[in-house]
Order: sequence, then C-alpha cells, then structure tokens
Amino acid sequence: MSNRLKELFDKKQIIILDGGMGTMLQAKGMQMGETPEKLNLEKPEWLIDIHRQYIDAGSDIIYANTFGANRLKLKRCGCSVDEVIKAAIDNARKAAEGTDTLVALDIGPIGQLLEPTGTLSFDEAYDIYKEQVIAGAEADLIVFETMSDLYELKAAVLAARENSTLPIICTMTFEATHRTFTGTCISSAAMTLEALGIDAIGVNCSLGPKELLPIVEEMSQWTNLPLVVKPNAGLPDPVTNEYDCSPEEFTSLAKAFMPLGVKYIGGCCGTSPDYVRALSEMTRDLVYKPQHNQLPAAVCSATKTVVIDQPRIIGERINPTGKKRFKEALVNGDIGYILSQAIEQTDAGADILDVNVGLPSIDEKAMMIRAIKELQGVVDAPLQIDSTMPEVLEAALRIYNGKPIVNSVNGEEKSLSTVLPLVKRYGAAVVGLTLDENGIPKKAEERFAIAERILNRALALGIRKEDVYIDCLTLTASAEQAAVYETVKAVEMVKTRLGLRTVLGVSNISFGLPNRELVNCNFLQMALTKGLDLPIMNPNVALMTGAVRAYKLLMNIDVNSTDFIAHYSGAQEAPKAAAPANSSNMDLSAAVAAGLKEECKRITKQLLQDTEAMEIVNTMLIPALDKAGAEFEKGKLFLPQLIQTASASQACFEVIKEHILSTGEQSVSKGKIILATVKGDIHDIGKNIVKVLLENYGYEVLDLGRDVDCQLVVDEAIKNQVPLVGLSALMTTTLGSMEETVKLLKEQYPECITMVGGAVVTPEYAEQIGADYYANDAKESVDIARKVFGN
Amino acid sequence: MQKKIEIDRSEVMRYLGYRTKKPDEKMLALIDECEEELQRAIMPSYTFRILGLERVKEGISVVSTPLILEGVDISRHLAGCSRCAIFAATVSLGADRLIKSLEARDMTRAYITDAIAGAAVEAVCDQAESEIAFRAKSFRTWRYSPGYGDFPLETQPLLLDVLNAGKLLGITVGENNIMIPSKSVTAVIGLSDHPIDLTRQGCHRSCNNCRMRSRCSFSREE
Repeated sequence: MSNRLKELFDKKQIIILDGGMGTMLQAKGMQMGETPEKLNLEKPEWLIDIHRQYIDAGSDIIYANTFGANRLKLKRCGCSVDEVIKAAIDNARKAAEGTDTLVALDIGPIGQLLEPTGTLSFDEAYDIYKEQVIAGAEADLIVFETMSDLYELKAAVLAARENSTLPIICTMTFEATHRTFTGTCISSAAMTLEALGIDAIGVNCSLGPKELLPIVEEMSQWTNLPLVVKPNAGLPDPVTNEYDCSPEEFTSLAKAFMPLGVKYIGGCCGTSPDYVRALSEMTRDLVYKPQHNQLPAAVCSATKTVVIDQPRIIGERINPTGKKRFKEALVNGDIGYILSQAIEQTDAGADILDVNVGLPSIDEKAMMIRAIKELQGVVDAPLQIDSTMPEVLEAALRIYNGKPIVNSVNGEEKSLSTVLPLVKRYGAAVVGLTLDENGIPKKAEERFAIAERILNRALALGIRKEDVYIDCLTLTASAEQAAVYETVKAVEMVKTRLGLRTVLGVSNISFGLPNRELVNCNFLQMALTKGLDLPIMNPNVALMTGAVRAYKLLMNIDVNSTDFIAHYSGAQEAPKAAAPANSSNMDLSAAVAAGLKEECKRITKQLLQDTEAMEIVNTMLIPALDKAGAEFEKGKLFLPQLIQTASASQACFEVIKEHILSTGEQSVSKGKIILATVKGDIHDIGKNIVKVLLENYGYEVLDLGRDVDCQLVVDEAIKNQVPLVGLSALMTTTLGSMEETVKLLKEQYPECITMVGGAVVTPEYAEQIGADYYANDAKESVDIARKVFGN
Repeated sequence: MQKKIEIDRSEVMRYLGYRTKKPDEKMLALIDECEEELQRAIMPSYTFRILGLERVKEGISVVSTPLILEGVDISRHLAGCSRCAIFAATVSLGADRLIKSLEARDMTRAYITDAIAGAAVEAVCDQAESEIAFRAKSFRTWRYSPGYGDFPLETQPLLLDVLNAGKLLGITVGENNIMIPSKSVTAVIGLSDHPIDLTRQGCHRSCNNCRMRSRCSFSREE
C-alpha cells in the first residue's frame, strides 16, 4: 500500500469514496452516449467543480474521470490515453488542493469481450490496461470498477501489479442472481482476487443498497480483505432514468453493510454529493470491523468454486501418456477432441480437470495456452495445470481464469525454488509430490518429512497452508507390492499430523495386473478412508466414480444420500430423447440413420473384429450418410436430423480411429481439408457442422477455428499441403476478410482450391471474390470435396 | 429489466428448416429438453430510451445524444415520426456459453439450441416493444436495426453507448461491430402522432425486399 493510502487507512475508520460522475456531467450538459473522458480536456472546469462538490461533501478519495479512458474507446474522439488520463488526474488534484483527499485512477471494462467467447486476446487486454496504468502513475491508488468479467479483471490486476506500485482496489458488478453478466460468481471473484494480492475488494453499480446487501454478505464470507461498496441510488426508471432511492433512504440501507467488514463506501449511478454527505455523517462514529474468516481450501474457475471439504474427483483423461489417440490430437492441434474429453469427464462426475499436454514433438507452452483458453470457454470445472516445465506453468497461470491447482512441485531444491514462487505470484494452489533428489522414499515417515519440507517452504513464501495438497505417490502394486500400504499410511500421516489436503493418482496402482478396475476401486476406498481428498482418476469408469459417491454417502458427507439418489435412482430409466426400442439387432446403417451414438460405437467395435476399417466406412457409414443427405436435399429430412446422423457416424469414426492407431492398420483419410471462420467472425456453428459432415465422409479436417487471421490460413494450407480450403463468414462485415483470404491463397498457393459459404455469402459473391466453389450447406460442401478429391 | 420469456415455437421450427412438415415425437422431445436447458442458462433483459428526432443535413439527429441516423432506408422508415424509441435486447452470455459447450458434447443439441436462442431474442424484443408501446402511447413503426438496408452497422457502438447497454445489459461490441452476447439486438422504432402505413408497422413483413431471398433457408414463403 502506498504511504498516502496507508496513512488514510490507519487514520480513518471508514473511508468515504465519491458518488456518480455520469449523472453529474449530464446535469452540466453532457449528452447521452458522449465520451465523458474527453471532457477532461474540453471542460476541465466542470470536472474540478464536480470533484470539489464531492470533497466538500466528505469524500476521502475521489475517482478521476478516467473510467473509459482506454485506447479502444478513445479512438472515437481522437484523443490519446496519456493526455486524457494526465488531464483527468490533474483536474482531480486541482480540486483536492489544500485537502488530504486522495485521487484514484479509475478504470472500467474495455468494452470488448475476451476470447474464446469474444475476440480480444488476454495479452491485448493486458496491454490496454498497462497503457492506462502507466499514464496514471501520478494517482494515489488504482481502482478497477464495474467489472463483470473476472478474466478481464485478472489481466487488469496483472497489468497494474507489474507496471506500478500503487495500491489496487477492485469492485465487480453483480446482478440479483449473484452472478455478473459473464457468469462470474462471488466466491470465485473473492478467492481469485485476494490470491492475486490486491488491497481491497467489493461491489459497485447494477443495484441499489437494498439489493446489494445479500451480495455483500456473501462476499464477506469469502475474503478477509477490507470491503468496498458503491451502490446505485436504487433502481432506475427506464424512461426518465431517475433513481428511486433518496440520500436518506440510501444511507439508512447502507448502514447494514458496515458490520460486514466494509472499509470503503460511496455511491455509483444516480448518486450525488448529497448521498456522500449523508454517508459521511452516518459513518462518522462507526468502527471498521475487519473480517476473520477461516477461509476454506478451495479452487475455482470464474463460474464455479470447488471447496475441498470432502473428496473431490480430479479427472485424469486430458493427458497423452499411453494414449495414441490423444497424442494424435495434440500433433494435429485438434482442440475439439480435447474439449470432448473434458466434457465427457465433467458429465461423468469430475469436479476438477487435470490438463497435461506435454509431448516432445509439439510446442507444449503454446498448446497449453490454447487448451486452457478453449477449456475455459466450455467447462465450469476448475483446472489443474500439469507440466514439468516452469515456463509452461507460468504461461498457463497467467491466462487461467480463476484459482487453479499447479501440478506439481516436489522436494527437490530446484523445483521448490522455481515452482513455489509462481504459485504465490499467481495465487494458485499446489500439489506437492513427496519425492526429492533421492527419488521416492520407501517409508511413509520419509515421505512425510518431504511433505513437511514442502509445506514449510510454501508457508515461508506466504502461501496458505490450505493451498498445499500433498501427493504421497502411488507405486504399482505389481512391481512394489509392499509399498502400497506405505503410500496409504503416508496419506494418513500428512492428513492428521500436518492437517493438509491430500491428492493421489489412483489408476497407477494396478498397472500390469488383470482386472485393473477391481484393484483401483479397492485402493481408492483404502485411501479415502485414510483421508484422501483429491483422487486423480478416470471418472468415466462408473465403478470408480460410484465408489467416491458411495463413500460420501457412508461417511454422512452426502447428507440424506441426496446426491447418491439423484445419480442412481433413475439409472434404470431410458433416456428421454433418444430411446432405441429394440436396438440389439440393429445394423450399423440403421443405427447411424437413427442417430444412436452408443449403439453405433458398440456395433462398430464388434464389426472391427472381422471387418477392415475402410470397408466399414465405404460400405456402411458413407451409404447411410448419402441416404440421409439425399433425403435432406429432397426436403424429407431436416438439418437437425442430418446432424444427428452425422454425429452418430462420428461416434463410429472415433472407434475406428482408436482401432487404427492401436493396430497400425491403414488410415481412412480421403484427403486433407482446412476449415476456418474468417478473421473478425466469431459465429462458427455452421463451420462446425460442415466439419462433422466432412469428417464422416472420411476427410481429415484441420479446423483452424474462428476469427482466423487471413495469412494463417495460407500458411497452414502450404505447410500441410492441403488441396482444399473451406471458409465461412456469417456477417456482412467480415466478408472482406473472406475476400482477402481467398486473394492471399490465390497469390501464394494457386493450386489450392477454395470453397466458401455462410449465411451472408451468395454464389455471385463467391464468384466475384474468385473462390472456386460456393457451398450452400454442409451437404454441398461434401459434394464439392468429392469432386475435388475424385472420391 | 429481466423477465421470463415465452419463446415462439413456430419461429424455432422455421429456423430449424421445418416449414410445413412437423418433426417427429423424438425430435420434439429433444427440442423441449433444449429449450428447458436454455431457459435455465439465460438472463433475458432489455433497455430502451424514448427520444426526440430532428432532421439535419447528414440524416436524422436523435435529440440530446450525438447520434445521427444515416441512410435513405432509415429516413424512409422514420418518415413523419417526431420521436423514436431506441432499444437493446439480449438473452445474455449464458446462451453463447451453453451453445459452445453443447458443440463439444452434441452438435444436434447445439444447433437446436442456437435456433431456440435466436427465437428467444426475438421474444425479448417483443417484450421491449410492448413496454415501449405502453409507455409511448403513440403510433409506431416496426423495429429497424443497424445493418438493415443502408442503415450503417457502424451506428452500433454509439447506439449501445446512448443506451448504456454495456453497463445495463452486458452487451459488448468488437472491432467489426458484432455484438457479444451474440443473441442480442438493437433497433429503432419510429413514434408518431399520426397513423403509420401498414408496411412500416411490420404487418406485411415479408421476404420480398431481402437480397438473400432466393437462397435463404429461413424464408417465410414456400
């Protein structure tokens, strides 16, 4: 904390902030929708006057008029970030002359959404904030407010922390649902931000003091930081834009916040100096009550918090070790496969997902960043970042949205001194392996000693005890039978004597044995009974996940067996939407036509025992798809059914791919095709449907994703010697990118054939930009591919 | 302002490509499941402003804002209107997130949910429009959005700023003027003291004037 804020913090029990800026500026004549920040240059006297009114009313800290002063928003009014922010702080300083009032650099959201949902990259966001932080170096503190995306806020906090020494205050904007617009929940916000080392946390805007109370109550349970509250003056009338809460009412409601650990209070939209004056009077004799919560061991994504107060399953499947299909996906950059592995595990019951994408032949760091960003877009489960390389861990920790687990540190000096500082810097939890320079000790006591050493080093760096999880290491029973019980014993010692959470990879135990599931399941039970909190396992094995659920039931953790019953009472019922009446005698074509995925997988596995993969594809799958395609063209079948058929066929292909990789049988690829949604365009569902269909006809699709840089398409096409490139655009504004991509392809790789499609593309347009083919729908793209590849 | 929405099922069917034909029972059950899941995932909301209009050289100026509505089509649309209602509506980011995760799970569900979410945002617009009708108490045109005809899509960011839609609804807009949440709409409704011809009220809304008419799979005409 800077000296000035620290002085104020110690001197005053409750610190009074200022009130609304927008309404005050509008009263002076600013139009709705105008950029308020340019008034710092055009109407400094307005701002000095408003700031002074707040200071006179009792504000201890005033926010400079810099909320939207970022390079993207200022582009419209032609001012630079530096000049606007410097002028704003200057105005505030002038107003504060002769007083002790502090000036905050006020920073709001950028106004664009981060990837993968939006197009702004984390690094760009960081850079935008960095520019603001540097321009605002003359302020006394930095306030990030009205934030709704925890991810964006993390970029902001890192930018502030790494480019300034000023104290940081963060307030987010929650709706009545207790979530922000982007889905961030209160616990995740509190946990993530406190771990990043900010100075105060809270809420502002969206609601009045009455509606914000339950939100502040919840937040106060998840942090011991001083709380900040800036409510709106009630709720606005949509036509008059007037708020319904008077200064007196506002203040009497705001009183309820104060016992919750609130140190900073002010007002947001609709509040004026009258509100600040009333707040100042109300708090005059109040005493700040710091919180002393026993904060739990927990990790989170932005949208989900997992408290480790009972066994939680860490899914192990995102890991190439021993999995040929996964390795292939990594080499081909097939993110879709990795995402499907994630979804499968969370559906099966995983609470947390381990992410390991280490493979010697690929750029692990780049792949880790991509995988984490994409995973964050589709799963709520917190992630465990698993790598042996510190630079991969750091890159992942920077862009992780929430509080992750680092897997792992161990008792070696080199590991302790490189990994633990990263854990602290980015506010993560960490798995400590009980091994060191001398390998894995045989005896439980020796593993315990390493655990203790890891804990002490973590504590010395300021990592909380609750954030250290110890892995006592599973050795395979077939090789070291006597060691099994030592592991279990070590778990118990770490749990009871050190009071730490424990983690254990379960599946290794049975390596080399028959009936592995049986061994795994029993080992899991033994370990759970001795205090295992975080089994790392395959949640898709029903028996294993069931064992954890049954354990929770029997230990009275799953009170009234609610969770257990919810999972198993309906197990006998058939699924509602797709119920095969009599599917056991079905042939593959019929199963594909009916869209029955599980049935398709089963039949394919059976067929592969005596039929060649290529034969299955050519004589069963493709004819089934052709039939569906023809009916679709005739209007007898509709797109949802066609996609259903294709998805079922895709399930068969997955089985076939696994089979080919394990037997070395010849691949079924009929040719490589690149698909991409063009630069600037983020709507890619159409492209993804085309992909499913093409893959089902045996084409190998390199999916470059959406918002793909024009030159990148060309580079990938040349690198992979791809004869056909498909481009999709859904918006008129991005058609230009399509034209540019086609042009670059024609210049640099003229033999490559292009097909284009998407909602706004017409055959005429396709011709005009020089594309070779226009595809009206997914089915037509298959016809084009067949023509191009002659198969 | 948040309310539960009634999604028009016939609109969903049209987006899915079913015109006169009805899907079978299994498909209908699947559509029901998708709608339930979507309803749980979204926070539909809208906001609007009723503002005066002034004709200026560049187009139509919206009083007490820097907004100028440009283009022949919007001028025609607002002919005879002294005021307008500007609104933004969204089903929220929950829909984008759900559809994205469904794409990794089950493409059929993703596609169906995408269609339902498209119909859902229209339903939110209907709610906004009926509140506007109630408040404005005047004759009104149907809703006209940036990107229609020659009404520039570049109007989008300023229009959202005038409505404070970032803060109030969480709508963001990127470099290409594409809104996220993707199931979001902004539009202008003309308000007049005099009756407005039926075409501009949207009574004869048809696909006749659309340049995509010949190949659009959502067309209302057979």
